[in-house]
Amino acid sequence: MAIKEISRRDIFKLGALSALALTGMKLNKAEAVTLMGDMDALQWGFKDISPETRKERKAVPSACWQCVTRDGIVAYVEDGRLVKIEGNPKLPRTNGVLCSKGQAGMNQVYDPDRMLHPVKRVGSRGSGQWKRISWDEAKKEVVGLMKKLKVEGHPEKFAFWYGRMKDSTSHYVKGYFMAAYGSGTTAGHTSICEGDKWVAHELTWGKHYENWDFKNTNMVLNFGSNVMEAHTNHIPVAQRLVEGMAKGAKLYTFDVRLSNTAAKSTEWIPVKPGTDTAIILAMINVIMSGNLYDEKFIKNWTNVTVDQLKDHVKKFTPEWAEKESGAPAKKIKELAIAFAKAKPGVAISYRGLVAHYAGVNNERALITLNAVCGYINIPGGFCQPVGAKWNDPFKKGFKSQHAKVHGKLKIGYGYKDAVAYPTHGVTQDVLGVIKEGKHGRPDVLMTYCINPPYVNGNCQDNINIMKDESIIPHLIAYDVAYSESASISDMILPAANYLERWDAMGHASGDQIHEFFIRQPVVKPLGEAKPITDFVDEIAPEFGIKLPFKNHEELVKAMCNTTKGVKEAGGFDYMLKNGAWYDVNEKPHYHQHEKKLSEKDLAGTKVDEKSGVIYKPDEKHPKPDAKNYVGQMVDGVAYKGFPYDKIDRQTGKIAVYSHPLKKKNWDPMPVYYPIPEHQKMSDGELILTTYKVRTQTHSRTQNCKLLTEDYHTNPALINPKTAATLGIKDGDKIEVSSAIGKIVTKAKVTNAVHPSAISISHHCGHWQYGRYTSGVKPPVEVGANDNDIDLKLKWWTDNGEHPNWIIPNSTDPMGGQQRWMDTVVKVRKV
Amino acid sequence: MSEEKKGLTRKDFLKLSAVGAAAVAGAGVMTMAENVEAAKAKERWAMVIDLDRCTGCKACAIACKTEFDTRLGVFRSQVIYREHGAYPKAERDILPWLCNHCDNPPCVKVCPVKPVSAEFKGVKFKKRATYKRPDGVVLVDQDRCIGCGQCIRNCPYQVRSFDPGKKAGGNPSANPADKCTLCEHRLEAGVVPSCVNTCPARARIVGNLNDPNSEVSKLLKAHKKDVAVLLPEKKTRPQVYYIGKKAKAASAAYKSGDDIRKEANSKYQLVVWKEGPYASTKGGK
Repeated sequence: MAIKEISRRDIFKLGALSALALTGMKLNKAEAVTLMGDMDALQWGFKDISPETRKERKAVPSACWQCVTRDGIVAYVEDGRLVKIEGNPKLPRTNGVLCSKGQAGMNQVYDPDRMLHPVKRVGSRGSGQWKRISWDEAKKEVVGLMKKLKVEGHPEKFAFWYGRMKDSTSHYVKGYFMAAYGSGTTAGHTSICEGDKWVAHELTWGKHYENWDFKNTNMVLNFGSNVMEAHTNHIPVAQRLVEGMAKGAKLYTFDVRLSNTAAKSTEWIPVKPGTDTAIILAMINVIMSGNLYDEKFIKNWTNVTVDQLKDHVKKFTPEWAEKESGAPAKKIKELAIAFAKAKPGVAISYRGLVAHYAGVNNERALITLNAVCGYINIPGGFCQPVGAKWNDPFKKGFKSQHAKVHGKLKIGYGYKDAVAYPTHGVTQDVLGVIKEGKHGRPDVLMTYCINPPYVNGNCQDNINIMKDESIIPHLIAYDVAYSESASISDMILPAANYLERWDAMGHASGDQIHEFFIRQPVVKPLGEAKPITDFVDEIAPEFGIKLPFKNHEELVKAMCNTTKGVKEAGGFDYMLKNGAWYDVNEKPHYHQHEKKLSEKDLAGTKVDEKSGVIYKPDEKHPKPDAKNYVGQMVDGVAYKGFPYDKIDRQTGKIAVYSHPLKKKNWDPMPVYYPIPEHQKMSDGELILTTYKVRTQTHSRTQNCKLLTEDYHTNPALINPKTAATLGIKDGDKIEVSSAIGKIVTKAKVTNAVHPSAISISHHCGHWQYGRYTSGVKPPVEVGANDNDIDLKLKWWTDNGEHPNWIIPNSTDPMGGQQRWMDTVVKVRKV
Repeated sequence: MSEEKKGLTRKDFLKLSAVGAAAVAGAGVMTMAENVEAAKAKERWAMVIDLDRCTGCKACAIACKTEFDTRLGVFRSQVIYREHGAYPKAERDILPWLCNHCDNPPCVKVCPVKPVSAEFKGVKFKKRATYKRPDGVVLVDQDRCIGCGQCIRNCPYQVRSFDPGKKAGGNPSANPADKCTLCEHRLEAGVVPSCVNTCPARARIVGNLNDPNSEVSKLLKAHKKDVAVLLPEKKTRPQVYYIGKKAKAASAAYKSGDDIRKEANSKYQLVVWKEGPYASTKGGK
């Protein structure tokens, strides 16, 4: 639609057409004006034109995977080639925009170093010698290994370790295949991200995850989140934070360094690593002692009284918090008062608060801060998230195929008795636990979209264990890249990437409504790359497993055609065309805990006298526990309350007092746990912290040439005063050493970091993963080729130094979190 | 009040054109005739960038590269950071940066390629290998470009590069000049530019200055007090306007393109494209 000379009458017609094109978009007024400003009635997206040919490119809606946010995207295809990616305007959480990582998704498809063929090693593990094998050969070998285990009666010795696997793909692999095969031996990666945060949620308000209702808030207190650069629901919340701030909301960031989020904040308050909780507790103290708390919320919806709280926090003074953290007491008081009066405000956090010793405790303090102000489940507050629940018509019928012999090796939950509540796994200790052997040892370990040597602490240890065939006899990698992990495996199976496969998906809405979206293939998998669900389709019959659908497309189709709402909108066909569906009339969900229970809900239930918890007893669960929670009595009325996840926290209210923690000899109320190592540091020692930036995702986007062009090296950030004391100048070569090793890297002297810290991003320092990542070309057998003109134009040679070599695998005994931010190091110029 | 702060009306433009034309009469490239015709266009595109909103995420820079399959080392659009202040009052200014589609473009002035007659939506104008179209967009006709690099060197913002992936039509042994096209291929089809589309903070707005009711016109009116452009003293009359609390300070920090490049080259993780072989003053041949 070219813009031609138009009359005033036409303007309104154009406006109407544009409005039609944007049907289903959730627009606020500002957005509407931007898009439909009279004469320039420009369409926001869902349309792209070739700059060369001027022809319209084919739009294929799908979903991103460059990080776990999984935004809705529109991919554009030209002559069968993926040429562009944008955000999907029809999915409200994404709202038509997309971050740098999402934009560069094309680089994953056309990475000249991606895995294209199955390979098997011919030398020892890690020797880099491979031979290309056919898929038939690969399948035969893998099936052979797995069948042997089944015959021996030990299917649990097939271990499946994934880093990122979600939505219907996860369902397919775990819920169908692994359940029918008979192995529950899986491990994830959560504890190297924010595991303690989720354990804290389970202990405090039940199910993990939260949505920060930024669009409607007045004030944000940020403890260690860099939401504007990275987050598990990144674009949905970051854009709403910008909107909230544009409307006047204030943002205060407590962080070790000046992240972009801190730079955009109303104020950055630097803190010594691991001390934020002192500030949070002092703030609760100011609010409680100043009588600024929400009395009704504390009484009705927490399991403590106002007096209990006041008594508990009175010793956490702002002056004490200043001594611990460096944050000025005056500022702490001022912000606490402003926060309580903000009505509403929201206190947020991420790894900066939780990737520490006792991270669980720290997040519990944060939830308590929100709770005492009554900022839970309200517009502008800390809300239980709303996702999307798809109907799977095959699930029930498949139960009969679940393996009769089913086992689980507990390799994913840490060393025996080392962690109080490892409900979100202890991935950094998987290899150590396997080596120790007390939880049994798998015979076959298959890794999928995970890179343990690189992403865990103590890289050398990880490598040593993985290379040892006497510890792990068979190591198979199913991956898109010749990663550090794949390079030391026995066999590598080439995975199709996210633009080449299917998913039925849901993730937290930024607007508290249910949003359904799908992933559909945009291009055919390159080379011999294969979606893991196709692999499952092909090997399932070998075990006598009859999957109730032909393939993943059929499963997604059935889910679209039987899920309420999606079905009526047009089901699969509608989703193929639009990528997303939501009910335009759905009102945002708040106050979920105050939903009154109906007679039907209450049928067969009992009430626990002590806690007021409403539970439905049966033979398996006769007493109130994590599995039979129904609701919570408050002043004689039955409400939904805050449902449990895996832990029975013995209340349907917010458990400021935690019985499960008391049971394991931790303080039942949030307190301050000083980081043990930091109490005995010598002069000149610093605390090593790690961080993420705007153009990379942890470990798997560095092969994207456009992203790595922007960020390919990770100098160590050091404060100028600290640097002067150590005789270090900007750009100097420095040695950073910990108890387990040393690295040599560059110093970046900057005012943007706390004097006690040395901050190194973990994105850089790969030693495999392709030429754009590390400069190292993978073996030609995997498919590495020179079909990319940009290989000759790569102008950078510095690929950074990875900090994880010197960060130990150090597990928080409370929740299993990898303690990324606690390592004490020595720094010297070399 | 300088011209940059008002949304330009057609009357303003004619006045400025006369001044601009007289100033470059000596260079003899951009003639009065070229300008007057251009003023008759219905649309005059401009961009407003809200620095209060921009979070420095670089989605715009990457989106631009993917839209045009731009080569490594070449940037039509970038985002630079400028750190200042002593700890704990450290600050980071964030500045998205692209071709300003100047109304008095120094790049167009020095193009040695012979002008030919052209027409855009009924408006006649003259174009060399690089030219300002009647709707305001400054473009390169890579089929006629001879790859001499004059325009690249003469841009005070240093937002042009050679494109190592292409051959200059007017001299195939050289690479043509490459720059932001304001996604005119998308504007033509009624779709917002790629950088505008992708910006998660909705910090970039493109619109028609000839329409007083357009978003850009309204924003410029509302932000009279804080609007700023880059290098106003060069009198290029940029059509990329920065608004927001930091706009004035952010733009005043740069006195030349070298300052901008220096910031980009600083060690805080910015693209050091001066090292690339196809940056402004090197290579291209």
